[in-house]
Order: sequence, then structure tokens, then C-alpha cells
Amino acid sequence: MILEAYANTSPKSDLRLLRLLGKKFEGRSFLHINSTRVGGGVAEILHRMIPILNDIGIKTRWEVIEGDPEFFDITKKIHNALQGKPEEITPSMWEHHFEVNRRNSEQISLEADFAFIHDPQPAPLIRFKPEGGRWAWRCHIDLSAPYEEVARRVVDYALQYDAAVFSVAKFARSLPVPEFIVLPSIDPLSEKNRELEKEEIDEIARRFDIPPGKPLILQVSRFDRFKDPVGVIKAWRMVRKYNDCMLVLAGSPATDDPEGPRVLEEVQEFASGDPDVRLLLLPAFSDREINALQRLATVVLQKSIKEGFGLTVSEAMWKGKPVIGGAVGGIPYQIIHGHNGFLVHSVEGAAFRIRQFLNSPEMTKRMGERAREHVRNNFLITRQVRDYLSIWAAVEEPGRTSIMMV
Amino acid sequence: MEQRGPDRLEGPFFEFRQCVKLLKATGKKARDLEELEALINSISPNSIYHHVYEYPLKLIELEYTNDFAHWAGETLEARRLGEALSNIDPYRFASIEDLRKELAREIGEFRKNHTLVQRVLPGEEFYFNETITLVFPAGARARNLAEFLLALKFVDASSIYYHFFEARNRVGINDFSAWLRDALGREELAKRLHEIDLLMHTVAEIRELLASLIEEELRREIEVSQ
Repeated sequence: MILEAYANTSPKSDLRLLRLLGKKFEGRSFLHINSTRVGGGVAEILHRMIPILNDIGIKTRWEVIEGDPEFFDITKKIHNALQGKPEEITPSMWEHHFEVNRRNSEQISLEADFAFIHDPQPAPLIRFKPEGGRWAWRCHIDLSAPYEEVARRVVDYALQYDAAVFSVAKFARSLPVPEFIVLPSIDPLSEKNRELEKEEIDEIARRFDIPPGKPLILQVSRFDRFKDPVGVIKAWRMVRKYNDCMLVLAGSPATDDPEGPRVLEEVQEFASGDPDVRLLLLPAFSDREINALQRLATVVLQKSIKEGFGLTVSEAMWKGKPVIGGAVGGIPYQIIHGHNGFLVHSVEGAAFRIRQFLNSPEMTKRMGERAREHVRNNFLITRQVRDYLSIWAAVEEPGRTSIMMV
Repeated sequence: MEQRGPDRLEGPFFEFRQCVKLLKATGKKARDLEELEALINSISPNSIYHHVYEYPLKLIELEYTNDFAHWAGETLEARRLGEALSNIDPYRFASIEDLRKELAREIGEFRKNHTLVQRVLPGEEFYFNETITLVFPAGARARNLAEFLLALKFVDASSIYYHFFEARNRVGINDFSAWLRDALGREELAKRLHEIDLLMHTVAEIRELLASLIEEELRREIEVSQ
């Protein structure tokens, strides 16, 4: 039983409801379609979620659409446009987008009692939906301030679904179909989040030359301006005047961002000559290393100035660390200011809060414990699976405000 | 008041249930008080219900009593309005429509005296949501007061919310008091529980308060029997 593995981590109530939902939909089929099997948060969570769904008795399939490089160039542009960047998608590009989906509809069995179609790449598949079954369009992108011309076309597809699903209310837009909100989640049993043995953590600390005993300030993120790595170093320098501590900035260069290499250079230059600052360029899939670094940290930062949901915040909080985060994107859903961490709006704010944590180990511990509980109750994968199945129950009984599960 | 669940619990057992809320977006948002007032006047009853009656589910420390007050006080920094909206007792109203009018009236009053329009930054708007409630067994049942006390201490917080807060809108009385009165004949204790001011406590505090009242009753009985 895969679900059993979560018995000591996930809230009992989530597991109980999951089993009931499993019973309700036992033997019925649930289909997920997206455009990549590796890389990115969507694929990561689907890898973990599909076995859980099958484990509770729901016949769950995950299909991936295939496309040529032109298709993925187009969908990248669509993605950027939905996030606000003006992009021109010509009629022939839309046609190609549709045509690739049509070809996929001939290759993939679309028969299912319930389906989640993830993001804009496979959205046109709705035109090939077989009779029966219900489909939801799962949008992981912030649609609140898109480039309208492109958004209109995508919304045209969305309107043909039985429901749309967004990650937070502020990413949604007013649509004449039921719109559900499902916050993203982390998997407590994945390599990035599982408990680590002390020896594993120590080995990684040695490998990265992190001395024991010295307070460690950490930010895990891509080297991109929106994560404000220079601001983090500035904040740490302010703190250093009062407290002895070291800073680790760990992440990968932003390869799909033309400014990525320049930002990294800037950060390297800004940090150079300071032995207590470490820039760790980690290769993709360095999950165990990130896990260990988060466990080694005294205080974790996510000082973003623009952010999607920012799940690295929940990852650190799950390890009992209070996080100081920028008050942007999905971060305020995770950090309750003053309760389980701090939201900041400036370099000075970040410095002040770091000092507060370093000077008050009791408060750091207390907030860290609350942080872990907040994640347990709100941001674990079992809750996300629970919500997906609850949406299935809701779209099968439209108009109901209350559903009894017995 | 809108029906939000099954009929009142009856029978000698108390079957604990719990609930989860599935969040729905309306896609509607307010950037300032004028928009907030207009949307409060036009939004679905379900949305008003969610932002007021379901607030205890996310409440961690008692500062406000509903989402509108919270947004006015914290995001708009209209502290006076936050206080005024927090002071509205939603259990005083016979219908969502009456509550809606009172919320809008309070915002309208404030706007008359504060003509400077303050508008929040993108991303900080008030987002009107709704919920669907999934109700399911909490895996605990009680036949007498001692079992009830034990169960009360370990059931999920959403179970306390469902039986103690939400039941008032379903059946006019909290489920615990109804059972204590009807199944156990403990009218006095039922009354004491019913008199607890819901707005003045978090769900966690309510759990402690209920447990201490029941413990007190049980202790008294044990002392009498000795």
C-alpha cells in the first residue's frame, strides 16, 4: 500500500478522505495529459501522484503529448504571453498548435471518466474529447495579467472544459465555467524532502565545505533577478556586522533566460573575496544535496521580488526551518507573517529578520515547528490528490455546496 | 440560513464528522473599498458565507473575525474599518442577505468619511472565493460523556468546526449541545456550551474550552459518587 507510507507524515483526515474518495471512484478511470515526462514541477508531482491514485483503486493513466520543435517553440511563446510578455502567435502557429494536438488525439486513448489536461500545450485536445466523462483544464500558470490577444485563444479552449483549475485565486480570471483552486504541494517522501541520516547530511556539508557550528543562512533558487540573489548578499552583509554567520546561495543557472549568465556573473562578482559566501552551482536533480542544505540551514530565505508559487518555501518549512520570504506570488500562502516565518519587502527587512532569528534560537525553533505543521496541514501531496478527487466529485454533482462522503 | 449539510444528528451515539473545503474562485476581485462594497452587494451568498463563517478555519490568532475585516485592516490599512467589520456578529443575522447588507452598510459608512481612495497594488486585491464542503466520518463515536471528552481531544480541528461552528447555520444549535441535551439529557451542560461566544475564540481554543467544561462536569459527578 503506497498510501500507508504517508501514515506518519500526512494528516490522518486527508488519508481518511482519500480512502473514501478512492472507494467512491473505485475502478473508474482518471487520465492526466501534459507535455513532458521530465523536468518541471508538474511532471515531478505527477510522477508521485499517479501511483497513489492507482493504489486507492482508481485506474489512473498519465499520457504525454508529442510535438516537433516548432510546436514547443510556439507553446513556449504561449506560456510567456500568458505570463504577460507580448508575443505574436500567427494564425499558422495556432493552426500548428491545434494540428499537433489533433495528431496526438489519434495516438492517445482519450477515453476516461475524468481527465486533467495540464497547461496550454494539450489544451486543444478538448476538441477531440470522446462522449461521456468530464474534463478539467489544469492551469499551472499565473493568468492574472496575460498578454490578452494570446490569452483569449487559450481561454476559448478552457471554456469548453467542465471546469478550470488554478493554483491560487490570484492566478485565476473570471470564466463562465466552474473554477477550482488547488494549491501546489510537495512530496514528503521524495528525495528532496525525505528524512536524511545524520551521516548523509554531514557528508554533504563536508563536500560543500560548510563548517559545523556556524549559523548558516541559505537561499535555494535559480540565479535569476527575480530571486534577488544580490539583495540576499546585501542583507547578509548587514547581518554580518552583528552576527557571525555564513551564506549559501544554491541553485542552477537560468538556462532558458537570456539574462541568466549575466546575472550569475554579477552575483559571482558581488560575492567574490568573501570566504563566508558560497555560491553552489548545482546540476539538475541535486535533490539530496538541496535536502541536506535545507536541513543544515539555521534560517532559509526566499527573497523573491517576483515568484510563481515558490514551493522551495514549503520544502524548507517542512524541514522545520522558518523562512524569510518576499511577499510575492504564492509565498504569502505559505508564510504566515510572524507566526511561522516573516514576509519582507526590502533588503533591510530581510537583514532585520535574519538577525531576529539568529538572536532568538527559541523563537526560531518555535516558528520552525509551526512552519512544519503548516506544511503538514496544507502543502503535502496527499492534500493535493484529495483536492483533485474532490473536484471530480464536485463536477459530477454540479450546483452542490455540500457533499456527504460516507 | 442556507442548508450546508445533512440534518441534525440524532440517536444515542455521537458520530463525529469532519469536513474539508474545496476552494472555488469566482474570478472577481476588489482593488479598493468602492469595488469591495459593490461586489459584496452582488456576489453569491456562498462567497459571503465563505469569507465570514468559514474564517475560523484559517484563523490562527484572534485579530479579526472575517476576511473582509482582515483585508481592510491589514492590506488597505483601514484599521477603523477592520475593527468595525470585525465587530459584526454573523450569527445575529437570520439570512446571508441581512449579513450582506450589514457588511455593505459598514463599508459605505466608512467611505462617506474617508473620501481618499486607497487602491492596493496588483496581487493584493480582495479575491472573492466560494467553497464546496465535503463532509465525512471522523472515525470516532461516543456513547457517553467520558467517551465524548476523549474523542473531542483527538478529532481533527475541522470536526470541531463542523459540529460547533457550522452546525449553527445548519440547524440553529451546535451539534454537541443538541446531542448532550437530546441523547444524554444534560440540558445545563448543553446550554453552557451553546453560550460560548464563537467569535471570541479560535477553533483550538474552543476545543480546550469545551474539554474543560465537560471535564468539570465529569469531575463533579465523580466527586458526588464517592
